[in-house]
Amino acid sequence: MKSLLFAAALALTAGPALAAATVGQAAPNFTAVDASGKTVTLADFKGRHVVLEWVNPGCPYVRRHYDSANMQGTQKEATSRGVVWLAVNSTSQDSGDYLAPAAMAQWMQTQKAVATVTLMDADGQVGRAYGARTTPHMYIVNPAGTLVYAGAIDDQPRASLADTPKANNHVKVALAESLAGKAVSTPSTRAYGCSVKYSSM
Amino acid sequence: MTPLRLLLAAALAAPLLALAAPAAVVTTPQVRAELVAHAPEGIAAGRPLWLGLKIDHQRHWHTYWKNPGDSGLPTTLTWTLPAGVSAGEIEWPTPSKLPIGPLMNYGYEGTLLLPVAVTVAPGFQAETLNVKLRAEWLVCKDVCIPEEGEFSIDVPAQAATAGHAELFAAARAALPQPLPDAQATAAVEDGALMVRVTGLPADWQGRDLTFFPETPGVIANAAQPQARWQGGEWTARVPLDAQRSDSPTAMPVVLAAAGQSAGRLVQLVVTTPWPAVAARPAALPVLAEAGSAAPLEPAAPPIGLALALAFALVGGVLLNLMPCVFPVLSLKVLGFAAHGGERRTLVAGGLAYTAGVVLSFVALAALLLALRAGGEQLGWGFQLQSPAVVATLAALFTLIGLNLAGVFELGSVLPSAVAAARARHPLVDSLLTGVLAVAVASPCTAPFMGASLGLAVTLPAGQALAVFATLGLGMALPYLAAAVSPGLARLLPRPGVWMAHFKTLMAFPMFATVVWLVWVLGQQVGIDGAAALLALLLALAFAAWALGSPTLGPKARGGFGAASLLLMAAALFWAVPTLRQEAAAQVPRTDEAWQPWSADRVAQAQAAGQPVFVDFTAAWCVTCQFNKRTTLSRPEVQAAFAEKQVLLLRADWTRRDAAISAELTRLGRTGVPVYALYSPGAAGPRLLSEILSFDEVRGALASLPSP
Repeated sequence: MKSLLFAAALALTAGPALAAATVGQAAPNFTAVDASGKTVTLADFKGRHVVLEWVNPGCPYVRRHYDSANMQGTQKEATSRGVVWLAVNSTSQDSGDYLAPAAMAQWMQTQKAVATVTLMDADGQVGRAYGARTTPHMYIVNPAGTLVYAGAIDDQPRASLADTPKANNHVKVALAESLAGKAVSTPSTRAYGCSVKYSSM
Repeated sequence: MTPLRLLLAAALAAPLLALAAPAAVVTTPQVRAELVAHAPEGIAAGRPLWLGLKIDHQRHWHTYWKNPGDSGLPTTLTWTLPAGVSAGEIEWPTPSKLPIGPLMNYGYEGTLLLPVAVTVAPGFQAETLNVKLRAEWLVCKDVCIPEEGEFSIDVPAQAATAGHAELFAAARAALPQPLPDAQATAAVEDGALMVRVTGLPADWQGRDLTFFPETPGVIANAAQPQARWQGGEWTARVPLDAQRSDSPTAMPVVLAAAGQSAGRLVQLVVTTPWPAVAARPAALPVLAEAGSAAPLEPAAPPIGLALALAFALVGGVLLNLMPCVFPVLSLKVLGFAAHGGERRTLVAGGLAYTAGVVLSFVALAALLLALRAGGEQLGWGFQLQSPAVVATLAALFTLIGLNLAGVFELGSVLPSAVAAARARHPLVDSLLTGVLAVAVASPCTAPFMGASLGLAVTLPAGQALAVFATLGLGMALPYLAAAVSPGLARLLPRPGVWMAHFKTLMAFPMFATVVWLVWVLGQQVGIDGAAALLALLLALAFAAWALGSPTLGPKARGGFGAASLLLMAAALFWAVPTLRQEAAAQVPRTDEAWQPWSADRVAQAQAAGQPVFVDFTAAWCVTCQFNKRTTLSRPEVQAAFAEKQVLLLRADWTRRDAAISAELTRLGRTGVPVYALYSPGAAGPRLLSEILSFDEVRGALASLPSP
């Protein structure tokens, strides 16, 4: 009886936990709506490499990677090689950082971002499925639909704006390796940045 | 002013405040940070001295612990202190759990002191201690703001400073206390750490404990461990992070009991191997992160710098005996016997030669380091991975061999101006001889010393260059000794007709080197390329004879010379494209036992529970070929592999291969040979020594479970 109570308490306190997308296993499929209201499914891109980037324009770390053009440069390098780039905003509507789809699309445009699609994930479903914790938090899915990288954009959590492009960009390295048909040498790193502003409900 | 405007103004002012002249306090809208000191007995060697950053957080704002959890960054302190005064690490107080939606962070709210102990060297004299601090912290509520501040205070040396005594006492009380007698182990089981701890305080029994790992990126921070007490033993199932970025064999963990400010620090030993993160052995990503406790046991412990320098010196001396170097240098030294007497010239020449050798080695090593820093995946031996370099060396050795054999003389080929210049500048000549000696030695350094020099390359740049300079010094030493010491020169046999025979004899080791280089090139570009190189060498030999033979008359020389140049042009025209092409022979030559290596093959076999042996090799690596002949291809060894059903993979590095270079780097090597044995379930491969023996292979195989 005591353990039953304990289990019930556990279920209550844990809340909607982060599911576990696991590197080396199939990336969770999802369906979400982009900033223009169109429905997008991960399975649409089967056969191509897909990069998932968690983004929140209100986060100083995201702004550092956009103001230094590091993120756009990474996007450009990826998309020019046929890679699909999905920017995902999982900021909840009850957060001060929330941007409506039009405002989000506008921000991406002023930043000259070259993401293939910007996904609005205000209910956090995609973010929770992937265990996205920070903005930025980066994932790479290979053409077979396997998650081959999860983690930080680079190895310099504390870099200044000017030094950002000089950091060792994990996404570029992992993508180049995966595109060359090789195993990703560093498949998992600790993401850094602001916490994803999930709804606490 | 509306509250919003006020907030905005404050936010704008914050960076300005932080930039203003350093003071004891930096205030931002989120925190008030103050540099504080505690020196209750004044400042002198042996007396207690503490510094600390006191952070008062605004309500609901927090900063982070050394492991910040799912997001966030730990606060960093960078001290500027006078000579003789040094600050230790932050002594992090026991943190709290800070849940944010589905995420979990570890950090502090309210008032926090991050103390550091300071040591003062004997002889500290100043009246005040000036302390400068640069601190960076990430402060978060539902938004995060990276902040920083410059602080400065003067602490009097003669008077007591104890205004914050209570604060420092509280921080000390909140410091996790080590429990040296506690036993803490964990087994990895089904996506979780099964933790067992004994030796915890008796009054903790039956209470709820919180688990704070100091190592980030290992456990699922937001998941609630399932814990229970069994007598004096606390056990917990701690779920692992599905995207785990670290696989430590030992992990410091702070355990805290509800309602107590100070936790206890235990060293959690992970007793089982970590499963693979993704589709590769778990140990490898760990290795890539420098400094982490690698579960790999290298065949030999890393050697110290002094020992490395000693080996380099001896290795350099031995290089003189290599077939590619010995002929050239022995003749040079014999030259001393021919012109005795001019001592000063000899010594100067010896020194110039030494300078040439050392500078060439340093330049070659610097080039390698620069290319590596630029992201090239190279190891020592990189020179021989290019077919063009191999072909050029073969041509050089052919010419030297022909010259020694007396087919041509340099005097006939070189324009007289060059010959005169050589005679007029003997020092430059000696220097260039040194450069040439390194060039001719390079095919020998790579094959015989590739692995050890490869290790040197991974040292810090200054030390690496020192090793290579010492290698050069060792190589120049016998020549220098012969030049400096007349006694040594007198030991040499008297000049005579035997010298001419000796010279001719020395042509043969040179040609042997050419045979070997042609074989290496054949491995790189195939049989057509080897034939093209031989044709080129033939044309070169013909041209050398036609233009340089001392016995040919001027007319014959003109005719043959013109013909030889045409032949050379034709040979180049035919050979160069063949040498350039990617080897058709790239299809890895697999004898049945060995399959080509790929990281995926290793991972697949690992997943299937099959042991794997990887032979990292190259055609130009003589040690590799030696091991292959004497050990790996022996029937007993093959039988031993078969008995344990070991998958044999060969990673051929004869040509440049980024995947193999990357794998070598991950294994902590930059050159071949490397022999790696992966047992099923083990954290990482076991590396065997560079000179293999049957006993060693058998011993390693014996540790494998029977199939």
